[in-house]
Amino acid sequence: MPSSPLQPVISAIGEVLLGKEHQVRLALACLLARGHLLIEDLPGMGKTTLAEALARSFGLGFKRVSFTSDLLPADLTGLNVFDPAAASFRFQPGPLFSQVLLADEINRASPRTQSALLEAMAAGRVSVDGTSHPLPRPFLVIATQNGLDQGGTSALPESQLDRFLMRLSLGYPPRQAERALLQGEGLRPDGLSGAFGPEDLLALQDRCDRQHCSTALLDYVLDLLERSRRQPSQAHPLSPRAGLALLAAARAWSLLEGRDHVIPDDVQAVLAAVCEHRMDGGQRGGGEGELSQRLQEGVDGLR
Amino acid sequence: MSRAAAPLQWLTMGLLALGLLGLSPALSLSLLAFGLAVLTALKLREARSLEERRVVALLQLVCAGLLAALRPELAPSLLQGLAILMALAGLLALELGAGPDWKALLRRSLQVLLAALPIALVLFLLLPRLMPFTNFGAGQGMGAMTGLSDSMEPGSIARLAVSRQAAARVAFPLGGEPPPLEQRYWRVLVHERFDGRSWRSAAPTFARPAVGQATPPPPPPAAPGEGIQLWLIEPSGLAAVPWSGSGRPLSADLNLQRSGELLNRAPGSQRRVYALTRTADQPGWRTAPPGPVDLLLPLGENPRLEALAAGWRRLGSDRERLDAASGWFRSQPFRYTLEPGALPRQAPLDHFLFESRLGFCGHYASAFTTLMRAAGVPARVVSGYRGGQWVQPVGGTGYVDLRQADAHAWSEVWLAGEGWRRVDPTAWAAGDPLARPGASGAGIRAGGGPLDWIQQQWWGLDIAWARWWLGYDGEQQQALVARLLGEQRHLLGVVVLLAVAVSLAAGLGGLGWLGRRHRGDPLRLELERTLRAFARQGMAPAAGETLGGFARRLSQRWPSLADPLEAFVANYQQQRFAAAPSRAGRRTAHRLGRVLRRSLRTGNRPAEAVQRDHP
Repeated sequence: MPSSPLQPVISAIGEVLLGKEHQVRLALACLLARGHLLIEDLPGMGKTTLAEALARSFGLGFKRVSFTSDLLPADLTGLNVFDPAAASFRFQPGPLFSQVLLADEINRASPRTQSALLEAMAAGRVSVDGTSHPLPRPFLVIATQNGLDQGGTSALPESQLDRFLMRLSLGYPPRQAERALLQGEGLRPDGLSGAFGPEDLLALQDRCDRQHCSTALLDYVLDLLERSRRQPSQAHPLSPRAGLALLAAARAWSLLEGRDHVIPDDVQAVLAAVCEHRMDGGQRGGGEGELSQRLQEGVDGLR
Repeated sequence: MSRAAAPLQWLTMGLLALGLLGLSPALSLSLLAFGLAVLTALKLREARSLEERRVVALLQLVCAGLLAALRPELAPSLLQGLAILMALAGLLALELGAGPDWKALLRRSLQVLLAALPIALVLFLLLPRLMPFTNFGAGQGMGAMTGLSDSMEPGSIARLAVSRQAAARVAFPLGGEPPPLEQRYWRVLVHERFDGRSWRSAAPTFARPAVGQATPPPPPPAAPGEGIQLWLIEPSGLAAVPWSGSGRPLSADLNLQRSGELLNRAPGSQRRVYALTRTADQPGWRTAPPGPVDLLLPLGENPRLEALAAGWRRLGSDRERLDAASGWFRSQPFRYTLEPGALPRQAPLDHFLFESRLGFCGHYASAFTTLMRAAGVPARVVSGYRGGQWVQPVGGTGYVDLRQADAHAWSEVWLAGEGWRRVDPTAWAAGDPLARPGASGAGIRAGGGPLDWIQQQWWGLDIAWARWWLGYDGEQQQALVARLLGEQRHLLGVVVLLAVAVSLAAGLGGLGWLGRRHRGDPLRLELERTLRAFARQGMAPAAGETLGGFARRLSQRWPSLADPLEAFVANYQQQRFAAAPSRAGRRTAHRLGRVLRRSLRTGNRPAEAVQRDHP
């Protein structure tokens, strides 16, 4: 089996976030596919740790914003302040201008603030008072969301959910990993020193785009999309954008696997993370991925 | 096993049941077919495993074959063909795994049938024949069917005269026009015994085959240019079958009686096909002298009739007596009607001749024959069909369509020096339907609608089928062999074997070619072959499972296979999904697949055997 070029990163983050290799790989794939990540979980499951570990592994600038109900859009984007020395307005960038932004508990903020964040994610730039400011590259938003049954939250609108490439749920660590955690064997994220720099990440992202997708594979993805549109359940059908997202994530996954081409197994590996939140419309917080499981079983995987 | 397997097999069962419906329970082989079908259905009902379903499919094929032997006509043959197609598709659904859908299964099944066509043709053309199964163990007396009967009373034909039911069809395939309308008398039964009320036929006498000889020797085939008449008759329950009165039967199970009846060894409880030559020369029955029974008459039953005939006895010759009788008949105001009312029990013929003078063929034939016997002229009543509609199907051989409404009775009179002469007294009566201008047959028949037209076209096909398929009998086969091999007849066995081998190879080759062309990709073919090998061991991919996932499960089940599996899967994925697949890679796929399947076979032995090999 060819070894992954990113194996050092995967192992390093594994030292920090114990027993979560699959989720770590998915998060890395999301980063490589230039997507944004939504982590839905209870507090205290290691969301912040994951975000910070990802940022540090590639030597990226990392900021964290705790979303509260009184957070204003300007608190994210930054604003023009009057500079008495220059007698003019000067743009003071907000926390959005970082390479990795951890938007903690995004569903506690007002819809207006959520919307500002999501627009910035989609466009890669921020407009303040008519001036457009490009966001840094690479740019990754990791938003966390508490379980919807918790009080004081306003759920992300369905239409905004698919701005996130993937939705993950970390879940409880396995017993063995939790024992190691309790024994203090895990590392702190700030102990990670990146073997890769931001330039390497950009190069890897470009390489992702060149991963080969054969016609047989495209047929498989097309069959999945078509199936999602024909299935009789209440699941939302997958949009063309979802198809693009699925393919991008599968490409990143195949790179993580150390291949130069995508196989159906890659698509299946990312299917639940990419498609579940697009199909359940955000209604089933942190479901077990049964919709995507059913979708996967409905399409012949032997290509 | 495909999901289509069970519906396909039930569908086949339905088709077979439909084919069974037409079987006559009088044939002992029919009971065998019924029993086999019931057994198959029960087996299908309880079948769960692949093996059981396989058995069902084979039973269904045997059942269809049995049906084909019992009912070789066109429509049942089409039905049997359909049943075989479905049964094969069902079998393929069992064997080809979950992949193919209905359409693919049926297409493949059709391909298999086509591939079997050459060998079937060789066997059909060259393999020596059994006798038709329909002749084995036929029961007697099928009860009353619509149609003529052994016993003719003057009123008996009236109920037939309104029946549109098909009776028979006769074609003249080897050239030749149909006989002109006034010559179309198709004789079936000859009634010679008269008890004053009804006319009965003599008991048939079959020429028994010599001891130790199961079947009579086949008659010589028709000479070239002789022409044949090809008959298709509907079930009648009679041993006697219609014919034109001239010609020579071309199959051994037809027996020409001295009276001119043509007897079939098995009574007609099924549709039947037979052929006669069509010669113009006088057949033997026409000059076979009358016996005493042809003059027998219960005296005193009809005194006025006897008195009238006694006057003619003074005339010198039979011919003069006949002329006198026909002259008298023509002078009387007889009128043809199908509803003459019942005749009295006392002196019924007197009543008809001298009082009511209303009647139809049965009355006329009966009265005239009685008159002739009373006048001392040997005479008898013949019943059969008269007329019939000439049908020219589109692009086929023309035929005469006979319905029960064409049933008729007439007289035959013995004239010394001439033999039996046909006399039809009905033709002398006013209002005889055949005498009416523009009559096509017995004129009771209503004009044919479009349904009639379709039915007549179908019968045309039926006749062509009978001629080319059923008509290819042992004699034709021998003629073909003689033409093919000439003096080298002893080489027939070798030729048959060679032809079978060649057609088998051609069929299999064609099948392989069709299959490859259909599925195309050798890589895919290799994968499917390998999947089938694992399916035989009870491991099949789960729904939506990828090859990688399936291979992981397989290596868990058979750890010894992990290496060949990984090599096979890696190569497959490389060929399938990488940017530049190579031809060499496809060959590698073949090699790796073979290695994998061989390891599956050897690795699947009981554990101790493996341990003995690798201590």
